[in-house]
Amino acid sequence: MIRGLWDRETIALMLLAAMLPMGASWLIAGGLEAAGRLLFFLVVAGIWHVLWMLARAQPPSFAGALTALAIAMLAPEDLGLFALLLGTSFGVVMAELAFGGWGRNVLNPATIALAFLGFSYPAAPWPELPVQLGWAAWPAAAIGVVFGVTSLRLLAGAALGFAAAMLAGLDLTAVWTAALVALMLLVCDPVASAATGLGRWLNGLLYALLVALFAVFWDTAAPVQAAVSAALLTSLAAPLLDEFAIALWLVRRKRLG
Amino acid sequence: MTALFATLTEPLVRKNPITLQILGICSALAVTTSLDTALTMSVSLTVVVVLAAGIVSLIRKHIPNSIRLIVQIVIVASLVIVIDQVLQAFFFDISQRLSVFVSLITTNCLVLGRTESFARSNPPLPAMADALGNGLGYSLVLCLIGAIRELIGKGALLGYQVLPTTDTGGWFTPLPLMLLAPSAFFLLGGLVWAIRSIRPEQADAPEFPAPEVAETRQ
Repeated sequence: MIRGLWDRETIALMLLAAMLPMGASWLIAGGLEAAGRLLFFLVVAGIWHVLWMLARAQPPSFAGALTALAIAMLAPEDLGLFALLLGTSFGVVMAELAFGGWGRNVLNPATIALAFLGFSYPAAPWPELPVQLGWAAWPAAAIGVVFGVTSLRLLAGAALGFAAAMLAGLDLTAVWTAALVALMLLVCDPVASAATGLGRWLNGLLYALLVALFAVFWDTAAPVQAAVSAALLTSLAAPLLDEFAIALWLVRRKRLG
Repeated sequence: MTALFATLTEPLVRKNPITLQILGICSALAVTTSLDTALTMSVSLTVVVVLAAGIVSLIRKHIPNSIRLIVQIVIVASLVIVIDQVLQAFFFDISQRLSVFVSLITTNCLVLGRTESFARSNPPLPAMADALGNGLGYSLVLCLIGAIRELIGKGALLGYQVLPTTDTGGWFTPLPLMLLAPSAFFLLGGLVWAIRSIRPEQADAPEFPAPEVAETRQ
């Protein structure tokens, strides 16, 4: 035990524990069909993790289950088995495993898989999330923050952004559930989000503002589609936000001598 | 003769201009939405690069060093204009779909790369063999990616419906993403990955050693 209890898998398990409230309420709302869907994605992600362990000696991770849960909850409906297989494989392999496994990836594999499915099958309808899922996101955030796997700064930044949007008089009632669920499942991923203090504030803020922007001006978008697109753009911008925070810190350090 | 054959076949896979040197990918990404445009582009580029290499190689001892790039570009541009006119005269439909990319062969790094690095210092026959090899290597990648994108994106090849799509009562659901630009990046990246897995000597040296972590330790 070099670093005590906290290695990569502990963090993955803690994140999984944080997602349990959402996962459970989603399973209760969706019933047997949802359970089957989740099982399918768990198996696909699991197979890829095992294949990469065998081929590249890359240790498999419980983060694969996180990816599977996020895709199962947010993926477009009415897609064939092949389409789901292709989208999941693309996200898990190209966005995570090809980079060296969870912790070395740049973008969240679930975000990439969802974006892939969204762009590939624009006609497929996005799921309508049950409203209790949005409420389940609150205990998820609480568990994540208490165990230190979810950034409080990121959540505070998002809260600030949503508050600003509401003060500006924007109507966000339609997207609340999707925005909160995507925030917890996709944006708060500790690997793919910003890593500096200021960067995390900006990361949350950017996500909230993008969701508000899409909710108001993107007429044809379903709530989940708007939230996933905002998550994708935010995670693409995350390294830039970190860069910005570091540059600012360097300037301040130079000035102070 | 064997040396000439080696010059011709080396750039097909082992020293492929696209997958090894990552040259000329702008056009490779842009024209590969269907196989016929990819084929037309491949033929045009191969003809241009072979003729340009031959001409540059013929006058290589007379080109003043200080203006050699200008001379090479003038030669390449003249050939490209001829090809463009031929396409417009005989294949108007395809030339419309290729739009500006035939004219952009002039600035294709692959063409200028071959004339500058090989034809300028070699006799015409090896120069043209090298240019032909590189043109064919480029064509190979272009046709492969074009075929995959058209097949999966539309279920067709060269305009003929190969896989029956669900619209017409078949079983195949086309993947429209394949017709958008990102998919060309994915396919090209996957191809480079596959080739470098088979031929590890092509892989770039790692920029820094991966950190040693407990999970990967034996």
